[in-house]
Amino acid sequence: MSLDPAVYGDLLLSLLPELVLTGWALVLLLFVAWRHRTARDLRIAGWLTLVALLSTAIAVWWLWWNRATLGPGLVAMVAADDFRWVADWVFLGAAALTVLISFAYLEREQLLIPEYYVLVIFATLGMMVMAAGADLMVIFLGLELMSVAVYVLAGLDRRRARSAEAALKYFLLGAFASGFLLYGIALAYGATGTTNLGLIGGQVGIMGKPSVMLLAGLALLIVGFAFKIAAVPFHMWAPDVYDGSPTPVTAFMATGVKAAAFAALFRVLNQAFAPVAAWHDILWWLAVVTMIGGNLFALGQRSLKRMLAYSSVAHAGYLLVAVTAGGAAGTSAFLVYVIAYTLMSLGAFAVLSAKGRAGESDVLIDDLAGLASQRPWLAFALAVCMLSLLGFPGTAGFIGKWYILIAATSAGQNTLAAILVLTSAVSAGYYLPVIMAMYMKPPAVEAAHRDVYLDRWGRIAVAVVVVGLLLFGVWPNRLFDLAKSAGNSVHATTATAATPP
Amino acid sequence: MYARWVLTALLAWPLLAGLIVLLLPARLAKYVALAASLVEFVISVPLWWTFVPSGGMQFLVDRAWIPAWGIHFTVGVDGISLFLVLLTTFLIPLSILGSWTYITKREAGFYALLLVLTTGMIGVFVALDLFLFYVMWEVMLIPMYFIIGVWGGDNRLYAAIKFFIYTFLGSLLMLVAIIVLYLHAGRATGAYSFGYAHLLSNAKDLGPAAWWLFGAFFLAFAIKVPIFPLHTWLPDAHVEAPTAGSVILAGILLKMGTYGFLRFALPFFPAVALNQNVQLVIVVLSLIGIIYGGLVAMVQPDFKKLVAYSSVAHLGFAMLGIWALTLQSVQGALLIMINHGISTGALFFLVGMLYERRHSRLIEAYGGIARVVPLFAAILTIVSLSSIALPGTNGFVGEFLVLLGSFRTYPIATTLATSGVIIAAAYLLTALQRVIYNPLKNPENEHLTDLTPRELAVLIPLLVGILWLGIYPKPFLQRMEPAARSLIEQVRPSAASTAGQP
Repeated sequence: MSLDPAVYGDLLLSLLPELVLTGWALVLLLFVAWRHRTARDLRIAGWLTLVALLSTAIAVWWLWWNRATLGPGLVAMVAADDFRWVADWVFLGAAALTVLISFAYLEREQLLIPEYYVLVIFATLGMMVMAAGADLMVIFLGLELMSVAVYVLAGLDRRRARSAEAALKYFLLGAFASGFLLYGIALAYGATGTTNLGLIGGQVGIMGKPSVMLLAGLALLIVGFAFKIAAVPFHMWAPDVYDGSPTPVTAFMATGVKAAAFAALFRVLNQAFAPVAAWHDILWWLAVVTMIGGNLFALGQRSLKRMLAYSSVAHAGYLLVAVTAGGAAGTSAFLVYVIAYTLMSLGAFAVLSAKGRAGESDVLIDDLAGLASQRPWLAFALAVCMLSLLGFPGTAGFIGKWYILIAATSAGQNTLAAILVLTSAVSAGYYLPVIMAMYMKPPAVEAAHRDVYLDRWGRIAVAVVVVGLLLFGVWPNRLFDLAKSAGNSVHATTATAATPP
Repeated sequence: MYARWVLTALLAWPLLAGLIVLLLPARLAKYVALAASLVEFVISVPLWWTFVPSGGMQFLVDRAWIPAWGIHFTVGVDGISLFLVLLTTFLIPLSILGSWTYITKREAGFYALLLVLTTGMIGVFVALDLFLFYVMWEVMLIPMYFIIGVWGGDNRLYAAIKFFIYTFLGSLLMLVAIIVLYLHAGRATGAYSFGYAHLLSNAKDLGPAAWWLFGAFFLAFAIKVPIFPLHTWLPDAHVEAPTAGSVILAGILLKMGTYGFLRFALPFFPAVALNQNVQLVIVVLSLIGIIYGGLVAMVQPDFKKLVAYSSVAHLGFAMLGIWALTLQSVQGALLIMINHGISTGALFFLVGMLYERRHSRLIEAYGGIARVVPLFAAILTIVSLSSIALPGTNGFVGEFLVLLGSFRTYPIATTLATSGVIIAAAYLLTALQRVIYNPLKNPENEHLTDLTPRELAVLIPLLVGILWLGIYPKPFLQRMEPAARSLIEQVRPSAASTAGQP
């Protein structure tokens, strides 16, 4: 199905998922404006959110099924390709899992704020706009829409100083990063006279040797994105913000927000700056420093939540390897890894939210001692998530890492691949103690885990995660097909990539 | 018919049985696990007769798994892996029977993990697709990690994580090397596949990259063997593991390293492996392993640790034999791999039985117990003698062949290695004397009970193995000869003509 960007109807059709989600967001806003007192209202808002996410996913599926593409003609502000659809599913899935683990959490922590769900929807919408953007301005709009919603989410628990601190920190540094990004966009515009990714790519190709202004713009763009994905040395905010935010929000930030920033980064680098060789080197170093830094910092953490925060920094490093490898293989590897990462990270945070009380930052890894004997299923789920984060065969995390390794080595980045596996080995030093505490240490007191509770929806979320991780770990064929077509879709225009196996 | 399903069944059955064990009530766990492992053994036994020595790879199964990347489920057995598969299926029921009273907590989990471990170990030996091999190689880490960490001794957490990280680190670099080989072969032929034969035939023209790749494989396998100085995880893991864990660790897991050298490192990178300097380094490290392992074993106060260090020495012989690359030495190395599994396995069982009675592994806690437990003493003596390599026992055949075969290639090193046999006699006979002879000083030892029928059922099959291999090893040698010969021909075309009959 080819859509003509000159026809309004077609243009609207290409934005169908975003429009559906916006519509639901407005409906939900109306709903919570007059029903926002009881826990029941909160639950209804949550269910409505799930329905909204599901219907949006169906809209995405419809466009994907019909192979919707924007035909030639006017230069489009949005892209319609498989990359966007797959990324949308990741965001929607992350949001849905977040909602599932939020039900019990919000009630338990007495956060009877139904606007929470509206904000989740708006943040998801922003992510989808980011992944769709074929123009720097659209990407920026999406980024701001997402970020503003997440700033509020981070400070949702306003009675806790930590949450307020997280929100403020996130806001200040996020605004700062947005400034970088915007300035980068301005410079890129100055150098090429356009903000459209495809046109910039064309200009850069004609230019031959890139101008200083363009390079400066590129550098600022990378810095802006590096803040958002929490790459070392722009990661300073991440541990505190992840630590202070309510756990479901942290899960959402670590997965959805990160995935969206990466998706936009991919598009910008591969479509606008593909001919510029400089970013490969910059990202190479960024990836190396992030992998080493993230893993070493995580090694020193005793709090489970902080450990997961730093581990998400490390995973940003692995994803950066996929970006550095570039090409269709790198893009596909990125998507597979992001799907795996979203599942395993959300699963870990879900179990953490069941264990923690009023600020999970106080849950030490050692506090999990004996969980396996008292809550075998939860312990099993967390163990699967940890092994997957470690990249152990049989789990989706391994498949993702394997794909990144293939992308990196086929791009000639053998050193990067070796650093990736060596830092992965380091990560065993902090993922295994979690398993060790749960299975190999006796509980500190008899009833250590009596109040660990995950409601029905939380259990469904964890079950989905575990089944997904194991299924993709053993039989990833469908996932590969999807990721491969998505990877090729981004590179159909540039086609600079070496053909992957 | 049998040839078509046997390997798949050997891989699938323990996994399935492990799940069944978990689902059934815990008190049934050990019975079900024992029955399942016996079924596994029975399935594997006809391999011995149906195997055609000159048939190369057989019992092949080949199914597409992840076709997008050319990943297949390909398994097969040749004269090198046949015995390791049989050794695995042979030791597992004994390990389960040997844990009967030793494991008292979370039994279902323990036996389920042992069965899952079986799948992983057999998978490593039969995998003919490097992706499958890597997955199996890693997968068996987790059950072992849990077996050490949950059911181990006092220092188990440290030992478990050390074991895990050492092995994991080594294997991850191998992962990168596998991918590089895969892309190299793919670019050369246009066909992307992880198949063993495909990668093997295209592992040429690697240039200097071959050194790095060999290094990555070497590290993974050398940690597993373990080769000095990468052996430090081994004493910890062996000592802390429960008896069944030690038996399997020594009996089978260590063989994965030597198997990896035979199957992958040598045939893939013959030029690097036979480089003068590489040979020198490996032979010297093997020698250090033989002598250092023996000397350290000599001063251990802990019987289990003594056995653990003796493993370092035995595997040093195996490495020497593999690298000497003559028909006798490779066959000898293969025999050592089997013998070590049987003899050291038996020693670990015996130490475990002693520990169950007195809760001490210290040699000095015993003495003179031959009069109290004559049956135990007799069996310990036979097993120790086989570990020392006394003629008539299995140990002799393997070490003799290795020394004989290696002398042709490395005369000086082999002469030095001979001293390892003497050192082995020194530490094991001393220990034997201090445990079962000498005066009976400690009154606690006066009431030790002798071996029970269950314990005899564990030990007698091992004794049969010791004597069979010691007196009539021909059926074994016959089955492994063509495979050993073709390996040598592959690695060193000139070596085959000079190698005589054993």
